[in-house]
Amino acid sequence: MADIKTLIEIEVLRYRPEQDKEPVVQTYKVPFTDDMSVLQGLQYIKDYLDGTVSFRWSCRMAICGSCGMMVDGKPKLACKTFLRDYYPGNLRVEALAHFPVERDLMVTVKDYVKRLEGIKPYLIPKETRTIEEGEYLQTPQQRDRFMQFSACINCMLCYAACPQYGMNSKFIGSGHMAILNRYNADSRDGGRDERMESVNEEDGVWGCTAIGYCSVVCPKQVDPAHAINMYKAKSTIDYLTGLVTPGGADE
Amino acid sequence: MEVFKADVTIVGAGGAGLRAALAVAETDPELKIALISKVYPMRSHTVAAEGGAAAVTRADDSLDFHFDDTVHGGDWLCEQDVVEYFVAHAHEEVVQMEHWGCPWSRKEDGHANVRAFGGMKIERTWFAADKTGFHMLHTLFQTSIKYPSIKRFDEYFCTDLMVEDGRCQGVLAIQIATGEFTLILAKAVIIATGGAGRVFRENTNGGIVTGDGMALAYRHGVPLRDMEFMQYHPTCMPGTGLLFTEACRGEGGFMLNKDGYRYLQDYGLGPPDPSPRNKAMELGPRDRLSQAFWHEKKKGRTIEGPHGAVVNLDLRHLGAAKLHERLPLICELAEEFLGIDPVHTPIPVLPAVHYTMGGILADGKTASSLPGLYSVGECSSVGIHGANRLGSNSLTELIVFGKVAGIEAAKYAKSVAISNPAAIEKQAEAAQARAVGVVNKPGGTERLAVLRTEMAKSMEDGCGIYRLQADMQATCDTLRELRERYKHLKIDDHSKVYNTEWLLSIELGYLLEVAEAIVYSAFNRKESRGSHQRLDGYEKRDDANYLKHSLAYYGGDGVPRIEYGDVKITKSKPGTRAYGAAGEKAEAEEREHEGAGNG
Amino acid sequence: MSIQRPYVRSMDGWWKRNAYFTRYMAREVTALFVAAYAVVLLVGVIRLSQGEAAFNGWLQALKTPLSLVFHLLVLATFVYHSWSWFNIMPITMPMMFIGGKRVQPGTITRTGLAATVVACLAVFFIVRGISS
Repeated sequence: MADIKTLIEIEVLRYRPEQDKEPVVQTYKVPFTDDMSVLQGLQYIKDYLDGTVSFRWSCRMAICGSCGMMVDGKPKLACKTFLRDYYPGNLRVEALAHFPVERDLMVTVKDYVKRLEGIKPYLIPKETRTIEEGEYLQTPQQRDRFMQFSACINCMLCYAACPQYGMNSKFIGSGHMAILNRYNADSRDGGRDERMESVNEEDGVWGCTAIGYCSVVCPKQVDPAHAINMYKAKSTIDYLTGLVTPGGADE
Repeated sequence: MEVFKADVTIVGAGGAGLRAALAVAETDPELKIALISKVYPMRSHTVAAEGGAAAVTRADDSLDFHFDDTVHGGDWLCEQDVVEYFVAHAHEEVVQMEHWGCPWSRKEDGHANVRAFGGMKIERTWFAADKTGFHMLHTLFQTSIKYPSIKRFDEYFCTDLMVEDGRCQGVLAIQIATGEFTLILAKAVIIATGGAGRVFRENTNGGIVTGDGMALAYRHGVPLRDMEFMQYHPTCMPGTGLLFTEACRGEGGFMLNKDGYRYLQDYGLGPPDPSPRNKAMELGPRDRLSQAFWHEKKKGRTIEGPHGAVVNLDLRHLGAAKLHERLPLICELAEEFLGIDPVHTPIPVLPAVHYTMGGILADGKTASSLPGLYSVGECSSVGIHGANRLGSNSLTELIVFGKVAGIEAAKYAKSVAISNPAAIEKQAEAAQARAVGVVNKPGGTERLAVLRTEMAKSMEDGCGIYRLQADMQATCDTLRELRERYKHLKIDDHSKVYNTEWLLSIELGYLLEVAEAIVYSAFNRKESRGSHQRLDGYEKRDDANYLKHSLAYYGGDGVPRIEYGDVKITKSKPGTRAYGAAGEKAEAEEREHEGAGNG
Repeated sequence: MSIQRPYVRSMDGWWKRNAYFTRYMAREVTALFVAAYAVVLLVGVIRLSQGEAAFNGWLQALKTPLSLVFHLLVLATFVYHSWSWFNIMPITMPMMFIGGKRVQPGTITRTGLAATVVACLAVFFIVRGISS
């Protein structure tokens, strides 16, 4: 590290609940090379400048979803956002928007997980099959119908991108709708009706006003905006058929 | 402190831990399961696995072939009866995953597809594009949501096992959000905490792969088996060490040196075919490929890059369509981190530490020498990988033995009761004091990152692809010194809410102890076998003296004690590991021999 | 929860924090201009029902300088309204497949915009043809 003279300034929004009344910015000068990520910059700060900076990370390759944070006001994964794109200026790192800050760059995740559990994000098979009978058959074309939505890494960037979620944290949001659709669109699944409650309820899909920023920031091209907006049509059909048939909608 | 009573406690919610939880829940929905993880389950490092899960599927394949491939790949250090169980139960487990929704890649007729993988005679690796671990983990986690008997403790960090009356009866964990301790009593404990690759400088592993469970069991007298066998994966990203899956080679990728030459043919893996040939060239086993790189570097035939010597992984001839269909994550990684489009440019790669073959000694039913304690997954040594693991055997291991661990732990839990809660609570208080004491000593001077970096560099120097006595000795000495300096840690963070510096400090303790188990095991194995290769007079495999497992026993403040255990040989007597043309010739001769014997 | 003190950040002025959000708000605001123009047209229909003199009075009012400025402004917002409408339209539609291949969002947007241009030109030439 001795011969690296290039420095970049990273501003970190700090928050230590035991000592800070509210978040406060702290600036660090970090030596950098042009292949360093924001995550590596933060690791340098924690390793050598200030061990109290807390942040989540693990895989370093944008697959575990741990390191979501705001970089210059935009939701990003720190492991694949590079310091060279901000140099020679400085950059500001903050905890993911629209979530309460627990500590520094760490937000409350448990509500997201709890909501995820509520949409029944597991296969509810249409037909039973024993293990001896082998796998359900599914053509590559059938698989293509839902694979895009199965790529969600639960990084929550789409929630940080959604002002509707920011103003109402009970809103289901596009991320969970993408996962819901992953199952509904899976040819092996027959649980669509069971999941419609999450779609139709008070804070279901109708909270979405088609801003579309969620799909812009999604690091895995899941296109959650598409998922949630598709369900507005489905929700309407469900409602109308529900008026006519007491038992509810049929797929 | 808060106390929670469970029937079965599982530490680690990756593929193995989740599969075990599901097995307990399905065995008996009345059993209370505590599933503890220091990260949210979807962050577990299973998520980064790419290539696939092996299971005999094709009509022209057989359990014997998978068995032979695995035992040969492990250089005969495998527990053969356990390998027999493993290969026999692989297919049903990948089908079970599919029934739970795992989106395996398919053939046109709707059946699951299989691909070629290193060291495998016949295509048998089930895969989900090049994100198999991701899809398996998310399938398991999302399926686990269905079972109300699984209570998750997300972001709880285990600091100790509770051992009373000669049995493991629970764990002590820190609730990361508050810094408070919770005692979780259990009648059976399953450790599924993953490997220890982070002891090395360049590795494919996530930050959380720090050998936690290995150290916890180790400290309580359970031996760590075969720790010297660390797998170097031949195709990793320079600088970060991130993984480029073996599937790149399974789909037909070439490895080229600076002259554009497929150098693997010089190392007994040829002759080179234009399309992939099983167990030959780029589809040879990982240890051989990593060793070939080392030799190429010595001959000056590698390419000098900004992060050191590399070779080229050439995928251009696969074509854009195949690359985007079969290897989309690889394309993404190359593009985003290296600015390279694999359709037009070869990817620079080098070997980096990837997998820990060794681990907590576990029998074929995942039980450890400590009653009530089970271990499964990368943290355990159940005996199927031996001295070198074949790619795609590990993801299958999680689900085959995850189920076994769950069933066995459930059975045991129903047969015993918590014996002495008061005594265990006293133990918990003492353990709490130790965990807090790691960082709150007066007069500390050592910085956490400095110790960690010195450890990682020393392990790379001493326990690399090829090992020398003098280097291993130097690493032994460095680790002794680092363990001493560890007692004088000074950290900046003295808070309780999400104090990650404190947790990293405890992890460093785990890393240092596991590192010692690795290097002392390596130093004492005076032969070369699988991924443990020496250049100091012990270049050959020595079955007479070393057809044995290394067993590292915790020495407390002192050095580990290394003993040896027998290897269970059933059907496959130790032979030569031959790949490429030599391998085909050897197999033909064996068939002839068998034919003559049966004739 | 005793020692945790999660901090909730304010959403005040959220639409100013990111150009994407500002453009979204502009998109929403154009709806007001669409409504305003609809009122103008509605008045025209009412005047038509009140006879030739009333209708001509309405036409005259449209030719005033103030009206022309209003119409140019409304035209500009309509262009942005249509542009942003077709940009967001693909996400509201079900996944479409033609010949086994997924129809890309960009295709839907471009088709919509093209259809708009064609429709506008058609109306323009028809009206010009009638009035000449």
